[in-house]
Amino acid sequence: MQIKHLRLLPVLLLSLTLWSCEGDDDDGGDNEEELITTVELTAIGGGATLTAKVEDLDGEGGKAPTGTPLNLKANTDYTMNVRFLDASKAPVEDITLEVKTEADEHLVCYTPSGAMTALDIQDKDSKGANLGLQTKFKTGATGAGTLLLSLKHKPTKTNANPCSTGETDVQVTFNVSVSN
Amino acid sequence: MPFFSGIKKSLCLLLTCFWVFVLQAQKCDFVISGQVQALGQPMPNAHVLIVETQQGLQSDAEGRFAFNGLCEGEYTLSCTHLNCEHLQQRIVLKHNESINISLNPHSYNLEQVLVQAQRNDNLAAKNSLSGADLEATQGIGLGESLRRLPGVSTLNTGASIAKPVIQGLHSNRIVLFNNGVRQEGQQWGAEHAPEIDPFASAKITVVRGAASVRYGADALGGVLLFEPQAIRSAKGLGGELQMQGFSNGRGGVASGMLEGRLSEKLPLSGRVQGTLKRQGNLQTPDYFLNNTGLSESNFSWTTRYQPKRGFVETYYSRFYNQLGILSDAHIGNLTDLQNAIDRGRPLSDGQFSYDLNRPQQRILHELVKLKGAHELKQGQVSFQVSRQFNRRQEYDSHRRFNPLPETLDEPSIEFELTTWAAELAWEYRRKHWRGSTGLSSQHQRNTTDRGALLPNYQNLDWGIFWTESWRKNENPWQVEFGFRYDQRRLETSTQGNRVLEEDRNFSGFSGNMGAVYHFSPSFLLRYQLGTAWRSPHVSELFSNGVHHGTASFETGNASLQAERALKQGLSLEWKAQNRQHSANLSLYYNVINDFIYLEPQARPQLTIRGAFPAFAYAQNDARIMGLDWTAQVDLGKGWFLEQRLALINGWNRNLNDYLVYMPPLRLEQGLRWYFKAQKEQEQKAFVRINAQWTARQNMAPDTDFAPPPAGYFRLDAELFYPLKVGKQNWEMGLSAFNLLNTRYRDYLDRLRYFAQAPGRNVALRLKIPF
Repeated sequence: MQIKHLRLLPVLLLSLTLWSCEGDDDDGGDNEEELITTVELTAIGGGATLTAKVEDLDGEGGKAPTGTPLNLKANTDYTMNVRFLDASKAPVEDITLEVKTEADEHLVCYTPSGAMTALDIQDKDSKGANLGLQTKFKTGATGAGTLLLSLKHKPTKTNANPCSTGETDVQVTFNVSVSN
Repeated sequence: MPFFSGIKKSLCLLLTCFWVFVLQAQKCDFVISGQVQALGQPMPNAHVLIVETQQGLQSDAEGRFAFNGLCEGEYTLSCTHLNCEHLQQRIVLKHNESINISLNPHSYNLEQVLVQAQRNDNLAAKNSLSGADLEATQGIGLGESLRRLPGVSTLNTGASIAKPVIQGLHSNRIVLFNNGVRQEGQQWGAEHAPEIDPFASAKITVVRGAASVRYGADALGGVLLFEPQAIRSAKGLGGELQMQGFSNGRGGVASGMLEGRLSEKLPLSGRVQGTLKRQGNLQTPDYFLNNTGLSESNFSWTTRYQPKRGFVETYYSRFYNQLGILSDAHIGNLTDLQNAIDRGRPLSDGQFSYDLNRPQQRILHELVKLKGAHELKQGQVSFQVSRQFNRRQEYDSHRRFNPLPETLDEPSIEFELTTWAAELAWEYRRKHWRGSTGLSSQHQRNTTDRGALLPNYQNLDWGIFWTESWRKNENPWQVEFGFRYDQRRLETSTQGNRVLEEDRNFSGFSGNMGAVYHFSPSFLLRYQLGTAWRSPHVSELFSNGVHHGTASFETGNASLQAERALKQGLSLEWKAQNRQHSANLSLYYNVINDFIYLEPQARPQLTIRGAFPAFAYAQNDARIMGLDWTAQVDLGKGWFLEQRLALINGWNRNLNDYLVYMPPLRLEQGLRWYFKAQKEQEQKAFVRINAQWTARQNMAPDTDFAPPPAGYFRLDAELFYPLKVGKQNWEMGLSAFNLLNTRYRDYLDRLRYFAQAPGRNVALRLKIPF
């Protein structure tokens, strides 16, 4: 290397010195968390519209989620829709639309127990795989039971047991009673 | 906040005052030390002799040598090395001299004598990694380098995220110094790796034992020092280029450095350095690990103005990396975690890709420092001020619901930490005593964007320290002691949308004492007793939320007190005089009162996402003890046997249970053969094979999500080969990590629940100096 070029070195280093430093760009606002606070079921059957919900308005931590039961009639056909809401904001944000838009990346799974009967998923994503926002089922004899509902993000829908894959965004249990 | 105002002003004032110190001549008890090098590479086994006193010694593995207790006067320093001419240099000794002896293949050339006072060496046990042993691992990552140091292991989250663990302690319990600046990033998190460019350091040193007095009260486990190569002091321009490629992840690294000094008259040197790294998905023996690539770009520059009696140095570095997290390890809730653990492997076999998807981390770390030192009659004063900025962005697998188009690429959580620090130190000598005293101060401001995991907070720290050490030539004893007082004020403001506004004050003394007894020139005993303390971190006090990496809900404990440690270390060190045998046995016993840890809670935390295992921060008394053993046997004809053993036992005294994530028993056995491949090369080539056996961790609490994995055996091999290309001395290295493609899981890897560790990785590297 030629020595005379070394004269450029201080210029180079000086210009590097003037390289502006990075800084904290937090203005102190926008600390809002993304939440799903509410899962709401709407079941239509037997000439009536039923709703049930599980809600955790203070988000993760603090108080545990609370819920209202799903009171069904025995031996009745139902069509049920599920909605996911962020009720911690005003107005309430409906996250179901987002799930619909990204149907390929989502799956709603249902695990019934006790008097709750199996559900059939009605809606499909763009690839023809289950989505699960709408279901149909027929109740049987009277009794008590539960319905475990979970919303999966990026499940492997081709897996033999797709509900064991993906990341869980929502997992709630509804109490179910089936009566005459 | 008036409490914090005026800091910048007082820093500037200190800086101005500092330059008023005046220099004068001096007389006795000097040290001549330095390093024998050949084109930047250390030269071991050179004979260095002071002709007048007939004191002679051999340069060590790093080419270093030191003569102590010399009086003012003129000396002749002679240096000889196999295959090299005899060389002599006159030295007029008026102060401590640090000398770089540079070798050329055909002749020696004593470089300009640097005037530098010796930093006070404390007596704590330490080991360094440099040269080919460091360079063989630099490209793989910092963690792979650190694991080569005795007493050091790493806590991993996959292969790309590795945090150093010194004698069982990590994160906020150890301290890292990057080029003389205390590294301040988001080191509280178990998956937050140090933000340091491995290629910027020419030497990594671990100081085991309580070195808290000089390095900060919170160095409960030890200290890691990352030091760059000394900047060029000879006139002219030079540099080096390093290129590396890896089979696993099809990765590549290019790192370059250019440095120069302007003229003989103006003692100003400068250097620029940068590293680029890219790597795709890693592969285990059975499958690819999806989304485990990374991309890294680092840059640094430094200038050093070095007149006769002191120096002024500026340093800037910028570290930026973007790394993918194994998609299968990102967990929604307890059920997901159980499903993933039951599978024990990723859902699909994956495929190779350079794409970096969610979940991922993007980390920026920037450091600017200004340091000045001035030689005094009997010592030196130095002043350093630095600013660090750390931005950590974590992208969850799921982006925000209903995103606005402009927020699509926004992280799920972002931490920004700005740290200002200053230190004023005075190092001095009188007769057989060396001492140092000084004060340090640090201010930090942290903000958390989105999410309420941590509150926004500020820290203001002050500390003063004083150390003394005594050493007399030909006296078998060497002693030292030191004290330190620190205080911290923590002010929090908002956490998420909640106003927290809780303040805390912590303060305390720490101290250490040590003694070395030389039974003979080749055998010594070292004892160290030290205390250290650490104030609880904001995350331990106030964190509140889900930790995605582990699917756990962590709750802070606002009533935590500082934890205090009493650490004892005893080591026996033997180094043969005539051959290169050596052995080192270190024992340590560390009692930590009010040890802060995450305690598993009986009831899981229920959320709308399902149940999460709940953990809350708690304090108990803990004890960590262990031993580190290293040995080298010189078999003759260039053959060496190397052995290392680390055993550690961590115990929670209140719960009567083991501590989680303690490194399991590890034994390493290596065989190395040095040979001369080319006639003119002054650095020897070597081949090395290293077998590492890690036991199952049987001393683990059963509160872990899954039992500790089985023990494993791993074989590594490497070849180092200096090449002569034209007039240049190139270096070539070929390494194979996990040569046998062994399937294994490491207890200290947090991804072991989900996948195997990566398989064989063959790396080829080339270093070209110019």
